[in-house]
Amino acid sequence: MPATPRKHIISAYLLAGLILIVASYSLPLWLPGDFVTAAYSGSEITLTAAQAQKVRAFYAHDQSLGSYMADMFTLKWGYSYIFQVPISELILEALPWTLVLMGSAHVLATVIGFIAGVEMAWRRGSLVEKFGVGGATVMAGIPELGVGVILLLVFSLHLGWFPAAGGKTVYADYAGCAQLLDLGRHLALPLTTLFLAYLPANFFLTRGSMVLILGQQFLETARVKGLPPVRIRYAHAARNALLPLATHFGMRFAFMVTGAVVVETIFAYPGLGALLFNAITLRDLPLIQAIVLFSSLAVLAVNLCLEFVYAFLDPRVRYVS
Amino acid sequence: MSPDVWKKLTSDPLFILGTALFAIMAFLLVGGSWLGVHDPHDMSFAPLSSPSLQHWLGVNDGGMDIFAELLAGIKNTLVFSLLVGFASLLLGVVIGMLCAWVGGLTDQLLMRFSDILLAIPSVMILILVAAFFRVSAPVLGLILAAMTWPTTAKIVRAQALVIRKSLHIQAARHMGASGFYIIRRHMLPELFPVYLVGFAAKLRMAISMETTLSFLGLFDPARKSLGMMINYALKYYYLDIWWNWFLPPVLCLTMLIMATTLITLSMERVFDPRLGGFVEAGSR
Repeated sequence: MPATPRKHIISAYLLAGLILIVASYSLPLWLPGDFVTAAYSGSEITLTAAQAQKVRAFYAHDQSLGSYMADMFTLKWGYSYIFQVPISELILEALPWTLVLMGSAHVLATVIGFIAGVEMAWRRGSLVEKFGVGGATVMAGIPELGVGVILLLVFSLHLGWFPAAGGKTVYADYAGCAQLLDLGRHLALPLTTLFLAYLPANFFLTRGSMVLILGQQFLETARVKGLPPVRIRYAHAARNALLPLATHFGMRFAFMVTGAVVVETIFAYPGLGALLFNAITLRDLPLIQAIVLFSSLAVLAVNLCLEFVYAFLDPRVRYVS
Repeated sequence: MSPDVWKKLTSDPLFILGTALFAIMAFLLVGGSWLGVHDPHDMSFAPLSSPSLQHWLGVNDGGMDIFAELLAGIKNTLVFSLLVGFASLLLGVVIGMLCAWVGGLTDQLLMRFSDILLAIPSVMILILVAAFFRVSAPVLGLILAAMTWPTTAKIVRAQALVIRKSLHIQAARHMGASGFYIIRRHMLPELFPVYLVGFAAKLRMAISMETTLSFLGLFDPARKSLGMMINYALKYYYLDIWWNWFLPPVLCLTMLIMATTLITLSMERVFDPRLGGFVEAGSR
């Protein structure tokens, strides 16, 4: 794939962020009626005109785009219908859980997928490699929804080894190590599910690029110099497989979000995904809108940062034009 | 596509296994409707009854036959995914080809736009649209297709740029063939493997997206789907229903994803590993 000039990608991302914000601002205008009719149309409650007016004044943003954006940056994201608390409070409370879950699953899947990919490419054609590739293929074929619910039923409901819901034991005043252990026990199953979901792509990508790299002449040179195989494998060959892994992360990140939403919902993990699920079930429209905007902008921001990381990782990627 | 490649593909164990899984699903669908299952919306049976000769997988909490629900769910998932697959592939091929052939500003703008689409999590946009506007499943499918064409477009564009420089295309141009003729007679057929890999990868993505959205409860509640069944069955985990209510949709979903994964991986292996359908089209 021909590389696109970085400058253009960066401006495209900034533009996309702006479009998302404007779309989110104008969303209530596209609704038949508005937030209030949308939320109360299906319910048993009928509002009087005065009540509807009051609710509208409380939730609707009768403001300009400028002040909407200013509010956005100062964390004034409005109120949730259902929870009756500021949306910013809900999102900022849920965010660390999601970051820990997705972050640790991603780091683990990348490191282990990378090492497995390098080792398997090195042992190409052996029995170990055949089993490894077969295992990764099967893993790629099982959806996280399937893995998640089966882990939940077997390990927490049937065997009772791990808690079935939540991020920590409520009302248990653990301190220090006990607290970490408790957090870890709650994290274990959702983390495993996401790890298994993220692993195959990393593995196949590393293995694929390693197989191409291993046929190249500079490795022959390294071998002739008498370097130990581990050094050839990692210091010489695997280094070149790092960049595709990094560039593909940006492409897959937007898809990885889907998995996180599902897994958090299954295990009722108190992150953004589960919050979004609750907002959907309770039809809390402002909260849904805020979570969607926030997470889309966050994904864009991560992609934007990655553009700078590529240049740092690979001296061949430079800011052309 | 040369018969040689075709033979290689059909003798690849992954491909055979994947197609076999699809065949089983098709057999289940056809056989099920042939045997005359109950109406999946009929709520007149005793709720939560165990499997019997009348109800092979028992009855759910709403008094609906689970086997009939399962078949309707598989059918809905497949229809949704095929729609997304075809629409997304069509958009990707047309836009990719257009970019490669026209070049210039059109190419620049469309490629920037595809970068933007790739960076936005499509699940979030679908959730927003489904929650606010309560649109039907086909409309959601088309929106998903409108967000996922860039992966195919980029690969088609890159491959088309390579072919464009090849000698027989140059020859055709010198003989005065029009751009439309060259694209139709030479470029489109030559990229056939790209479409196959792209389609299989899109199908896989669409199946998992459909189950995700239905699991989250974003479709019309009357629309049967595997994700919704899993969600409902999970609420009754304390009853002994896991093997007749909960496991069948999980198994069917896994079989569908497994089939598309195996076919995608095998086609990548046979055609060209650099087509990268699995990794690039987002494994999820």
